[in-house]
Amino acid sequence: MTDAVVNLSGVYTAYEGAANPSLRNITLTVDRGEFVVVGGPNGAGKTTLLETINGMLRITHGSARVCGINLLEDGVGVRRRVGYVIQNFAFDPLSPFTAGEVVLMGRYGRLGYLNRPKEPDIRAARQAMKMLGIEDLADSPIGTLSGGQQQKVLIAQNLAKEPEIMLLDEPFSNLDLIAKRSVSTLLHDLARAGITVIVVSHAFDDLPPRPIRILVMNRGEVTVDRICTPDKVEDVVRTASGSDARA
Amino acid sequence: MLFGRHQEVTPVLEFLIPNNVVCHAVEAMLLASIACSILSVIIVQINMGSIGFTMAHAAFAGAAVGIFFSLNPTLTAIIAGLAVAGLLGPLSDRARVSADTALGALFGISMAVAVFFIAYLQQIGRGFDASGLLFGDVISLYREEIYALALISIVAILLVTLFSKEIAAIIFDRKIAEAAGIRVKPVYYGLLFMIAMTVALSLNIVGGLLLYIWLVMPAVIVLQFCRNIREMFITAPIVGACISVSGAFAGLNHSLPVAPLTAILFSIVFAIAVIVSPRRRVTVRKN
Ligand SMILES: Nc1ncnc2c1ncn2[C@@H]1O[C@H](COP(=O)(O)OP(=O)(O)OP(=O)(O)O)[C@@H](O)[C@H]1O
Ligand SMILES: [Mg+2]
Repeated sequence: MTDAVVNLSGVYTAYEGAANPSLRNITLTVDRGEFVVVGGPNGAGKTTLLETINGMLRITHGSARVCGINLLEDGVGVRRRVGYVIQNFAFDPLSPFTAGEVVLMGRYGRLGYLNRPKEPDIRAARQAMKMLGIEDLADSPIGTLSGGQQQKVLIAQNLAKEPEIMLLDEPFSNLDLIAKRSVSTLLHDLARAGITVIVVSHAFDDLPPRPIRILVMNRGEVTVDRICTPDKVEDVVRTASGSDARA
Repeated sequence: MLFGRHQEVTPVLEFLIPNNVVCHAVEAMLLASIACSILSVIIVQINMGSIGFTMAHAAFAGAAVGIFFSLNPTLTAIIAGLAVAGLLGPLSDRARVSADTALGALFGISMAVAVFFIAYLQQIGRGFDASGLLFGDVISLYREEIYALALISIVAILLVTLFSKEIAAIIFDRKIAEAAGIRVKPVYYGLLFMIAMTVALSLNIVGGLLLYIWLVMPAVIVLQFCRNIREMFITAPIVGACISVSGAFAGLNHSLPVAPLTAILFSIVFAIAVIVSPRRRVTVRKN
């Protein structure tokens, strides 16, 4: 319990204006340095779970603490410590920002109002870009990069944040085979360094060689929560999603 | 209150009047264009064009209502502009209606209110010359209005300097800015508030129909040459101020309507900027 970074208890989450909650009665504890894969069919509530953990959605019932902060009181405080790589992004080709500037934005939240990025921030951004092998894209306008390159920029942005928890929503979807493997290794390294990794994915062939905690979601609920080896993950997700679909 | 202000000048200063008027007019155009140009960068980059457009017309309606009820029209224009911001927030956040549709409706309502009160004023014989509200009037300005414009320009400059990080992140992507731990809503509503204030204070000078030129053109012109936000925030007010001051001098010297002339100047510069823009040049070599 002492090392829990995510602590949800009986949480219901609703989108603004929606009649029914999109997450129902979620109770979930995730420890520091855990590697969690979230699976389940489209519309199951995977993205909703991530956006609940970082406080972007309204929790209607239940209690939630993330990084020791009460989510219902200080969502911004949580978001400054939690990285979140969003699922759907499409940047305007004319967007007036370079990839380097976008990565640096990962530091903005924790800098707070009125403080400008300083040497350590720029170093963190540069380091993050190096980890994803995109240093040479630093001066390219973000909108002119390919989907996979943009995906890497967003991952780098959240690495630059030096988060305690890293949430990633289908980060592999745009990546080529080599990039998939290297991002997977990177996430493995993060988890070993004590950062909690929670990744939504449908691609299970490049999971790191370590025990994986797998959550399967269905209709807004967590239906499976177990730890298994990376090669078993696909089976677990398939069985769980399949059985529910038939029910 | 908006009209017939020339009378306040005492006859003793008669030989100075032309200079005074020119001076005030130029000051007003300069300050209004600085505030509007800075905000134009944000409006263009966050795609708030329809918000600016709707606020300009709502302010126009607010001023008409103010005149009808003998209230301070600048104050009622501010209230109307803020009402647009206040109504749009809940509407677009709840997303029951798209923001554009909501703004279209608010624009229609604004015009209905404005036209009703202007027509009614004329019908009951309290008819007044609406051209000041429509096309601007740089001749008859109060000193307080110029101070207020100076203040709003300074606030606009402070806002984009002090909150440059937050504004840049929001311009990039609202959702990503929020996930990064930035308080998006206060900054966003702060910007809406600034636009409403600027629109209401500039209304007398450039007019409700032409205000939109000041709220988009400066940014669109410099966008043809600038690659990043910082450059745009610096060059837009410079370009906007140069065109506005030139327009004011030219209009007053040649007895032409100042705000419409300046609006045409903006359009000409815009056309030239688009033609010479390096952005349109394709510089790919084969080897
Ligand atoms: N903005 C929204 N407003 C209302 N309901 C929403 C909104 N976004 C998602 N939902 C609903 O919440 C539920 C869960 O959606 P969510 O996006 O979390 O699914 P997901 O598991 O991430 O699916 P996918 O695999 O397609 O990404 C769905 O039933 C969806 O209809
Ligand atoms: Mg999703």
